[in-house]
Amino acid sequence: MKYKKSLVFSLITVLLFSLFLTGCGEKEVNQTDAPTTQKETQKTEKEDKKETVEVDIFQFKVEVAKALEEAAKVYEEEKGNVKINIQTVGGGDDYGAALRAKFQSRQEPDIFNVGGPQDVEDWMDTLEDLSDQPWVDLALPGMLSGATVDGKVYALPFNVEGYGFIYNKRIFKDAGIDVSQIKDFASLEKAVQELDGKIKAGDLKDKYPLLEAVFEMPAKERWVTGLHASNAALSQEFDSSIAAYEAKEIDFKYADAYKAIIDLQANYSANSETKDRLVAVDYATQVDEGLAIERVAMIQQGNWIYGGVYDIDPEVADNLDILPMPIQGGKEDCIPVGVPMHWSINTKSTPEKKEAAKDFLNWLYTSETGKDFVVNQFFFIPPFEGYEDLQPKDSLGKAVKRYSEEGKTTPWVFMGYPTAWGEDVLGVEIQKYLAEKVTWEELVEEVKTKWTESR
Amino acid sequence: MWKKKIKKIVLFIFSILLAVLFLSPLYIVFTNSFKTQKGIFMNVLSLPFGPFFTLENYKEAFIQLNFIHSFKNSLFITIFSTVFIIIFASMAAWMLVRTKTLYSQFIFFLFAASMLIPFQSVMLPLINVMGWLKMLHPVGLIFIYVGFGSSLSIILYHGFIKGIPKALEEAAIIDGCNTFQVFWKIIFPLLKPTTVTVSILNTMWIWNDFLLPQLVINKPQWHTIPLRMFYFFGQYSKKWNLALAGLVIAMIPIVIFYLSAQKHIIKGVTDGSIKS
Amino acid sequence: MKKNKGWFILFVGPILLAFLVVQIIPIFIGMYYSFTDWDGIGNQANWVGLQNYIEIFTQDEGFLHAFAFTTIFAIVSVFIINIIGFGLALLVTKEMKGNNFLRGIFFMPNLIGGLILGFIWQFIFIKAFDWIGAQLGVSALQGWLSTTMTGFWGLVILMSWQLSGYMMVIYISALQGIPESLKEAAAIDGANYLQRLRHIIIPLVAPAFTVGIFLSLSNAFKLFDQNLALTNGGPYNSTQMLALNIYSTAFTYNKLGLAQAKAVIFLFTVAIITLTQLYYNKKKEVEM
Repeated sequence: MKYKKSLVFSLITVLLFSLFLTGCGEKEVNQTDAPTTQKETQKTEKEDKKETVEVDIFQFKVEVAKALEEAAKVYEEEKGNVKINIQTVGGGDDYGAALRAKFQSRQEPDIFNVGGPQDVEDWMDTLEDLSDQPWVDLALPGMLSGATVDGKVYALPFNVEGYGFIYNKRIFKDAGIDVSQIKDFASLEKAVQELDGKIKAGDLKDKYPLLEAVFEMPAKERWVTGLHASNAALSQEFDSSIAAYEAKEIDFKYADAYKAIIDLQANYSANSETKDRLVAVDYATQVDEGLAIERVAMIQQGNWIYGGVYDIDPEVADNLDILPMPIQGGKEDCIPVGVPMHWSINTKSTPEKKEAAKDFLNWLYTSETGKDFVVNQFFFIPPFEGYEDLQPKDSLGKAVKRYSEEGKTTPWVFMGYPTAWGEDVLGVEIQKYLAEKVTWEELVEEVKTKWTESR
Repeated sequence: MWKKKIKKIVLFIFSILLAVLFLSPLYIVFTNSFKTQKGIFMNVLSLPFGPFFTLENYKEAFIQLNFIHSFKNSLFITIFSTVFIIIFASMAAWMLVRTKTLYSQFIFFLFAASMLIPFQSVMLPLINVMGWLKMLHPVGLIFIYVGFGSSLSIILYHGFIKGIPKALEEAAIIDGCNTFQVFWKIIFPLLKPTTVTVSILNTMWIWNDFLLPQLVINKPQWHTIPLRMFYFFGQYSKKWNLALAGLVIAMIPIVIFYLSAQKHIIKGVTDGSIKS
Repeated sequence: MKKNKGWFILFVGPILLAFLVVQIIPIFIGMYYSFTDWDGIGNQANWVGLQNYIEIFTQDEGFLHAFAFTTIFAIVSVFIINIIGFGLALLVTKEMKGNNFLRGIFFMPNLIGGLILGFIWQFIFIKAFDWIGAQLGVSALQGWLSTTMTGFWGLVILMSWQLSGYMMVIYISALQGIPESLKEAAAIDGANYLQRLRHIIIPLVAPAFTVGIFLSLSNAFKLFDQNLALTNGGPYNSTQMLALNIYSTAFTYNKLGLAQAKAVIFLFTVAIITLTQLYYNKKKEVEM
């Protein structure tokens, strides 16, 4: 009986679905209703307000996605005849792949993101020349260099970011260490040793029960060691990412100072006795489960960690500041500051779309409303003049700004490293070095050779 | 009698231990979904009691996932993809088993071999082709799922159908059924255990898939749950509290589906009909 | 005959169409690109002949290492997954209280993917293992994922945890297909459980083993998400598997032509391996 019942049941479903199928099969092959309705709506929209222009943005910064959508809404209302569609790629590091897919699919975005010189060269055929845009003249010195080719500007710098040794002010204060005296490597090392001694002696145990080391070092995140840390040394050798991009070889003149920075972090981390374990330490362990819960006092990171730390412990977040990343023998009292990403416009879009896209970006970075979004909603440090009234409000943004204003900065040149050199060569070699698979001399030799090879 | 009972109890305890082992990673998901971000990082392994307990995660995740909406989208895409896969894969597999020609074998070989292709290596050409066909929308996505789901499903059906004696069909043909009727009336009901298996495996894969919707769906109104979920993962900051709560919410429907579906892999459904 | 052909097209055609469009055509496009210097931007690509293939075998140690690592991984994990998966299936098809519930539990690991998976297992391997190791004084449990060996076993454990529930589903449906009468007959003949398992159950579910081994093998070779989330190739790229190697060639190095060439080599090798396995298993099926 049961068998018969289930037979009847399946038959009915199958009949139903086969009816469905004939309808849908055709749809699949021809056109589907999704695009047609879309076309229809476009049509009706066109009839309503004659020149509604749609601008598609394809961007990667999840952190600002929501605020950007709000900004777009405000802009749409202001203009009346523009529609901004924003698509954000979540998850962090798949943007390059996603952007390629986007272009392959022939649904090319009008506005998208490019990184440094290598990206600009790769995407050159699709980049609109933006040299005539009003914001070009407002850019702070050096901020356009990453996207300038032959004197033409191809992209708008996203924001300014800086990194260094971010430390917890309270811990240093309670340990009785005067941070204002830290201006070079020697004084930094001395302070670290002092704090380390106090942590090991248990002097800070009452106030900071979790505190177990000065540093946490995420050697698993090869961008931290291979790109950022090395940049401190190589930015003494090159004055811009373009210079690094054009260099056929490197001296690695400050390799020893770079080693000193790496060793300092490793030797005063919780894994100082088992340094090979550092290769399993990731960003979350370093920031969220390290600095933010006061398990460690200092990490090499940038102002972008503020939001994440704030979500965990606002008090810690507001008590952060940045110490320099001193390169012995070079400029010591400074932090690397640069532009991580750019906005660019697809030169193959229609003239109307390009105009609208340009206008939107210009509005975002130069109008009063836009500027307010950039500083207070995106939490960006703007790379332009004209933001005097809008100061960053978070502790780390302020710190970066302070270094910039005092001229205590070195540029970000890692954008000009050969493709994947920083992470896949240097970052990997650092892991080997920490696991004592290679000596420092071998490491330096290897990375220099690989640089020359890839040029 | 006693011996049997003891055996049963030992087996039971063993199963429980095994279950605990399997569940322990999920324990981390579940307990941490009730903690604040700070609570998670203070101690991942602790229970969500004390100052770090919160229910906010669920509320917030529910809102940020735009749950009702993205749930509908996920449901739509998953159901239609799975149903089409079942219908077409079972039909194709049956025909491939029953047709003993070279090209039939070759086609089966193609389906099997394509299981070995790493998705990353066809990703860009695939999107290129789909863009050219103007199929970058949910219906196109269903089409893609049918294409990718075909291999596994056909292999599973193929393996099962081989065990079904041909005599059953021959009898039906004598009764005057055409091929179509033979399949739907006689064969398809027999395939039920495999159909349930196929639907479970495909549903689960499609429900959780992130990469394909990410590539194919452009309009926010078509976002599925995994797509919304990725908004918890920024370039740097990752909102684990919301992500874990979101994961638990997204898991509930599919676990219910699984539990109710797998009851239908009933013992003996095929008994009696597959004796050769 | 003509009529048969019509039915054949009607039955096989729809899914074959989707399959061709979605998989086969892109593969051929990909193969074409493997002979070019394509960078994935636009369609312009210069023909470079066999250069990419030559480069892989002469200059790319990373790829060969990934290949070897993946092969060893696949062998080990396929073995473990299928044994556990089949064991679970045997367990939950026993008449026992709560076995429906148990099926659900064993299957649940499949519902967690990507980043979250990496997050959980990192904590287990690094924190929980460390803690247990410290309590029991077993130093082998400490410092996981920081050496190649622990990275390897970490991946195997993760993969087994995830996929054995999946394989269980396949084996359950096969086990349920065994006519009860056969088992009963054997029991009456005085065969004990192991004998019944060896002589009745395993031969009857042999086709399911073919499928199960094939699936786990192809999954092991294609492993990507778990690799990325758990070790990301670390330490020093020693746990980088094939799919990840191909992916990073394509999107970190922007050498999509080279990546396609790797994919082609990968596809052919794996096809040979798994099809040999299929052929061998099928032969065995018949024999049994």
